[in-house]
Amino acid sequence: MSRAEEVILRGLPISKGIGIGCPIFFSNWEEDVPVVQIPEIEIDREIDRYRKALHSSREDLERLRKISLRDGSPEITQILGTHLEMMQDPMLTTAIEDRIRGSSRNTESVFFHLIEEYKIRFSTLTDIYFQERVRDIIDVSRRILNHLCPLQRLKMSEIPNNSVILTHELVPSETVEANASLVSAFVTAAGGLTSHAAIIARAKGIPYVANVDIKAFKRLDLHSLIVDGSQGLVIVNPSRKTLKKYQAIKRGHQESYKMLKSSMHLKGETVDGYEVRIFANLENPKEVDSVLKNGALGIGLFRSEYLFLSRKEFPSEEEQFQIYKKMARTLRGRPLVVRIFDIGGEKKVDLAPEHKDARYFAQIGHEINPALGCRAIRFLLRYPELLETQLRAIIRASAFGEIHILIPMVSDLSELRQVRAIVNKLCAEFKAANVKFANTIPIGCMIEVPSSAIMCDALAQEADFLSIGTNDLVQYVLAADRSNPHTVDLYFSTHPSILRLIRMVVASANCARKPVILCGECAADPTLIPLLLGLGIREFSVAARHIPLVKHTIRKWRILEACRLAEGALEHTAAQELKQYLAEETVR
Amino acid sequence: MKLVHKVKVKNSLGLHTRPAAAIVKLLQPKKSTVFFTYKDETINARSIMSILMLAAKKNSLITITVEGDDAQPTMDHLIKAFDEEFGEKK
Repeated sequence: MSRAEEVILRGLPISKGIGIGCPIFFSNWEEDVPVVQIPEIEIDREIDRYRKALHSSREDLERLRKISLRDGSPEITQILGTHLEMMQDPMLTTAIEDRIRGSSRNTESVFFHLIEEYKIRFSTLTDIYFQERVRDIIDVSRRILNHLCPLQRLKMSEIPNNSVILTHELVPSETVEANASLVSAFVTAAGGLTSHAAIIARAKGIPYVANVDIKAFKRLDLHSLIVDGSQGLVIVNPSRKTLKKYQAIKRGHQESYKMLKSSMHLKGETVDGYEVRIFANLENPKEVDSVLKNGALGIGLFRSEYLFLSRKEFPSEEEQFQIYKKMARTLRGRPLVVRIFDIGGEKKVDLAPEHKDARYFAQIGHEINPALGCRAIRFLLRYPELLETQLRAIIRASAFGEIHILIPMVSDLSELRQVRAIVNKLCAEFKAANVKFANTIPIGCMIEVPSSAIMCDALAQEADFLSIGTNDLVQYVLAADRSNPHTVDLYFSTHPSILRLIRMVVASANCARKPVILCGECAADPTLIPLLLGLGIREFSVAARHIPLVKHTIRKWRILEACRLAEGALEHTAAQELKQYLAEETVR
Repeated sequence: MKLVHKVKVKNSLGLHTRPAAAIVKLLQPKKSTVFFTYKDETINARSIMSILMLAAKKNSLITITVEGDDAQPTMDHLIKAFDEEFGEKK
């Protein structure tokens, strides 16, 4: 077979880095045809599998035709006869076998390819009748597909080494399972810069390019792929020259990351000695160890909803207690901020109707505007049993370390008050039952909804700490959907309005002598860190792998310079100008 | 022996599934190789799916190429089938 040509596709850069690997189509439920490379020695077995499926399909049709001959319409009998003929068609027998052999792919994907070819061919015809003709072929193919032993659905955590995942859309629960040592890169058709899947990909350091026509890949002869997550390029079947160039870039990245890592145990402090506390964001409780190795002072944001998203059911009080207890123990006195379940909106899973937890979502039903819907604390207050179960587990675990409770998506003071009332009630119950728990369990509010940013002085009075979640705050303040490709241009982490709000929140927190931590993704952006320092942020929480970079950046700045930078920034009133100013002023 | 002949698709729906199946069935007892050429594309006439791929509508001109010992009767048979619109003539 001749070497396939190099093709370059452009997409939206989501997660930086270079990924080189073999393509794996990760199917969504709507289009369940996995593409698997078949090793040379197993080709004969694959073809045998196909012949058996073809045989069973013929038996099916013959049985149906007999029934139809007896009491069906002559048209149906005739159609079934035609389908039987088609199953002996060289295009479906020898041609498919040759294709399996030639492409070394599984039968399902070969079939899918063939049907796609027919679809393309007939869709170019204006005559509707002709377009309809492809249906018989699809029908016959479906029948055969059904008889192929259903391949086990690929699991993100069990895919082969060096895989580039191609899929329509990434969902957070799957992304969180991806192992950076196995997955080289992600390429998707849909998905925005700040979707939750994108955040996780960046946190794991997996290069990711979105807005790429995935279907186009299925028509290409794919051998290998290079994904350039910094430029937003996908290079199909790269030439030797291109491959060498990218391997060199990749090595460069790895070396500079190694260099950064060597300084990660240094303190996070500015040149003039101001201490900045760096914490880690965490999704997978098993990663606490590696987080500490990266030099984090603790867990600044544990996204506890992943306990639900990854196992697709709500964990029991005992399960949660064991998890939090283990985390607290591993942290040995360092803080663990548990953000209670931020579920709803885009963070939900499709549960079968008979699933025990399906009712929670069924009651809410389909929301026209999930971002403004019943999610996070709203969801938890709607189902107090879920909230109480989680709070009980947290309070019990507080005996083993320093645990904080963080309430997501607070939009009114009453939500904080309700949670505090429940915590107090549970503590009283535990006390009466002689169950151990910590003397103080601080309760904080996420500042990610405009109303809570505006009312931050009141929240700062009653909360024990504040946590600014810039990802959501930016989307709500600017009314720009973070995963919509058409509004990505409006989504500025550094919009002047955001700067003013951050300054307000910091001022209120300082006034009330409450700590404030910033845990959005912009905390890991070297061009924004000095600005945030200048705005008064002294605690950051970022994905563990960004900690070396954040420390490295902080150690290059003086607090006075940062304040001057922030003052200058606040004078700019248009987003684009501000961006320009920051780009010029933060080069070091 | 090799024969080449042009025929017109007369049935109103063109070479759809049923006529294609009829052609393949008709050719089953024959020994010759049979190709259809339409718009620069030549396909094996013993494959329903290949015939469908031609997407030949009513009034399309198909070039039939038959090669083999029974080329003459095969060609006659095919021409007759096209002419009778594969039994769809009303």
